[in-house]
Parts: sequence; C-alpha cells; structure tokens
Amino acid sequence: MKRLRWGLIKRQVAVQVQVITLNLYSLGLFVIQPAVFTAVGMLLSHAAGNAMPDLVYNVIGGGIMGMWSGLVFTSTFDIVDDRRTGVLEFIVGSPTSLATVEAIRTLTNVIAGLLSLSVAFIAALAIFGYSLKNVNFWGAGVSLLLLLFAMWCIGVFLANFLAWSRMSGTFVDYLEMPVAFLCGFMYPIRILPVWLQILSGILPIRWALQAMDESLLGNRDLAFLITHWAVSIGISLIFLGITSWLQVKVHDNIRVSGELSSI
Amino acid sequence: MIKSLVHSLRIYLAEAWLSYHGRFAITSPFGYIASKLGFPFFLMLFFIYLGKFVGFTNPLYIVIGNVLLIPAANGLNGVNLAIADERQWGTLSYVLGSPAPRLPIFMGRALFYILDGFITALLGLGIAALIFHLDLSKVNFWMLVLCIFLIAITSSGLGFLFGSISLVSRDGWMILTTFVSALYILVGVNFPVESLPPMLQPVAYGLPLTRGIMAARLALQGAGWGVIGHLVTGEVLVGAIYILIGYLSFHLIEKRSMASGTLDEM
Repeated sequence: MKRLRWGLIKRQVAVQVQVITLNLYSLGLFVIQPAVFTAVGMLLSHAAGNAMPDLVYNVIGGGIMGMWSGLVFTSTFDIVDDRRTGVLEFIVGSPTSLATVEAIRTLTNVIAGLLSLSVAFIAALAIFGYSLKNVNFWGAGVSLLLLLFAMWCIGVFLANFLAWSRMSGTFVDYLEMPVAFLCGFMYPIRILPVWLQILSGILPIRWALQAMDESLLGNRDLAFLITHWAVSIGISLIFLGITSWLQVKVHDNIRVSGELSSI
Repeated sequence: MIKSLVHSLRIYLAEAWLSYHGRFAITSPFGYIASKLGFPFFLMLFFIYLGKFVGFTNPLYIVIGNVLLIPAANGLNGVNLAIADERQWGTLSYVLGSPAPRLPIFMGRALFYILDGFITALLGLGIAALIFHLDLSKVNFWMLVLCIFLIAITSSGLGFLFGSISLVSRDGWMILTTFVSALYILVGVNFPVESLPPMLQPVAYGLPLTRGIMAARLALQGAGWGVIGHLVTGEVLVGAIYILIGYLSFHLIEKRSMASGTLDEM
C-alpha cells in the first residue's frame, strides 16, 4: 500500500513538473513577474533617495511574491484546464481521490515556487552583495519549511473551491494581490494599520514569512520565532481541517448533481 | 458610397457589441467588478505600502498612476482577448472566411473596451478621491477626461498588436501579461519616468500611455491645453502608430494564413 502511494506521488509529481516546465507561462509566473515586482521596489527605493534597496524585503520578497503567484495560478489553471478538457470527470471517477491528486499537485507547485525564491536569493547574493554574516540560518530554514507548509495548506484549500464551482474560481483568481498585500510579501507587516495586521493574522503564510524575514535580518529571539511558528502551524492545520471537511462536501455535491463539467 | 459606409458602420457596431457581450455575458457580477476594480485596487495598495516602506513620500503619485492604468489594462487585455479567443475557440477561420470588410471587424472589437476602461477609470478616480482624500479642487476636468479617454484609445493599439501576436503564437497571453507587468515600471505609474535608468527612458517614451499619464497628472493639477498640448499630441501620434502596426499585423497574418492554409496549426 505504501509503495503504491509512493508510486502515485512520483508519477503525479513527474506529470506536474512536465506541465509546469513545458508551459512558458510558468516562466512568467515564477521568474519574470517577481523580477518586475522587485524592480518596482528597487526603483521606488531609488526614487525615494536610497542608495541601495532593502535586500530582504525588496529583493527576496519578490521571490516570495513569485512563489505565491505561481501557486495561485498554476493550481487555478490546473483545475480550469481539467474542467475544459474533460479530465476533471476522470479524476473524480478514478479510485484515487481528487483530494489526493490535488494535494500532490499543490505540493509540486509549492516546491516549484522555490525557483522564484532561489533566483531572488542568488540575485541578492551575487548582484547586490547581500551579507549572510548576521543571518539566523536555522531560524530562516525552519521558517521556510513552515512557509511552504502554509502555502500547501492554502493551496489545497483553494483547489476545493475550484473543483466545486467555476464561479468560485473567479474568486480565487483575485486572491493573488490581497494576500500579497495583507501578508507583507515585500514590506514588513508592521507598516500596515493595526486592523489590517489583525486581519492578516488569519493567514498562516503571514506568520511563517514574518519569522523568515526576521531570521534573515538576524533575529535570534527564540520566543518570537517559536510563537510565530506555532501560530503558523496552528492556522495551517485549521485550514487543513476545513479542507478535509470541505472535500467530503465537494465530492458529495459533484457526484449527486452529476454536473461536474457544467458547474 | 453612403450605403457602403452604413454597411461598414453596422458591422463595426455589431462586432463591437458581440465581442464585448460574448466575453462578459457569462461573468458573474462579482467577477466583473473584481476584474475591473478589485485587482487594480489591491495592486495599488500593495505599491502604496511598498513605497511607504522604502520612504517614497508621495503615495498619491502611486494612487493616481494606478487609477490611470485601469483603462490601459482594460484596452490591452480586452482587445487582445477579443482577437486571440478567435483562435482558441476555433472561430478564426469563420472570421477570415467571411466577406465582411476587415477594418470594421478589427476596429469594432475595441469600442466597448475603450468605453468600459474610460468609465471604470473615472469611477476608480472617484473612489480613490474618497478613500485617499485626493485634492480635486484645481483639477481641469475636461482635460482630465480627454487624457483618460486618450489613454483608453491608445492602449487599445497595443491590444491590437498583442492580439495579432496571439494569433501566431500559443504563448501570446504570457507575452501580454509580461508586457503589462512591465508597464508598472516603464510608463510612470508608480514613480516618474526620470527615475528610470537612462537606457530605459527612451523605451518609456516609445510606448503609448507614458505621455498620456503625464498629461493626466498635469490636468489633475489644473494644467490647460497650453501646458499639456504637446504631451497629448505625442500620445495621439504614438497611439496611432501602434494601432496601425496592430492592424497591419492582423492583415499580414490573414494573408499568410490564406496562402499557406495553416490557420488552425498556427
């Protein structure tokens, strides 16, 4: 049973990687768009009279933007394409649940998003001479893992909406910027008004990202990091719990109505 | 002669309505409003806080720039899709096979996107004025209206061009979205064109929108035709060149596809 699952994961990941790499749009999502956002941050910084951009928020933050955009749009287009080409019905009808397929796909999309972060990080090191001297490596590493986990939880949560109804897909499409804005992908969350900071607290990405940014800036305050990690894990698990509950509803709904391709 | 003109006008208006209706008839009200105002609003907020963080002390510059980009995004994306979807849905051969004159068919696709972008930008400006307390006491209203309308028209020229590219390339949408992203940098939306590296400034002035956005900013400060006339004229000229290139590209692609018979393989 375990070998079968591992085989499924390997096969699904391989297919998903091919889908991503053969689609030129992925290049735009994972590399060009984050580069544009980074460039806007740098030029705004230049226009404000700064000699150097903020490397953690303006440069590496652009990579986070790419990770998120990549996740939202690749996951969205996967389902939309499945629906358009009629593959969604086969997936729902197959012995492997839609939830499992979506979980593996989303995992691949999240890991593919690391390309954005890597490019941004390499740019920060090679082009701008970002110093690693003060970086809290283990703090940044743990935070990055939790950031990936948080993105995966949000990704599978959103995938259910897309399978449920094409109209909800419209809603998911427009989540890219509100989440980027609320989570402070390219600026510290503290500059937002307090009520927006409270609102952003419902997103696990915000907590993991804040811990990662602070670690990159050299914060070694264990209490601060553990609190942020714990909150991020807790909210991610809540999203996962809601997803599990929703999956049953979505499956029932699409099987009972029999209108998968038209909803 | 008059009969021919009326015929072309009828095709132009029918094409304009069908193209717009075909795109938005199945969209929910939420999707429609979100696509018009939702994304630009949150993008603007993102840039405002990014600017605040780096010490850019004029957030209203970003607000106005992003509102002025609304008609451009509308013209670019809408017109591009109105053309490119023909290929995606397999209806391009019917369009090219029909005896209708090409000019009204091609130009008609932009009409409602231009009007839509223009109205949405005015609405966005009103909302931005309420939220961000824009000082509109000095505004030269009719000059501002002219500039926004002009931006909507000239950006449709880019839409025609990218629509034509979409007819010959499967990655047309990716090329367009990359270009639209580049507009956040190049046309003076978030910071003045003078803040760009010197090598990018000629590129900025070679694009529609740059002069139109500059003129609209001046009109917001009360400038009249004497001050912004040269910018408006430049915007008209650059926009006309792009519309012409877009139309000629479409014509060229049509001729090539007729000769090679490879329309559906493109």
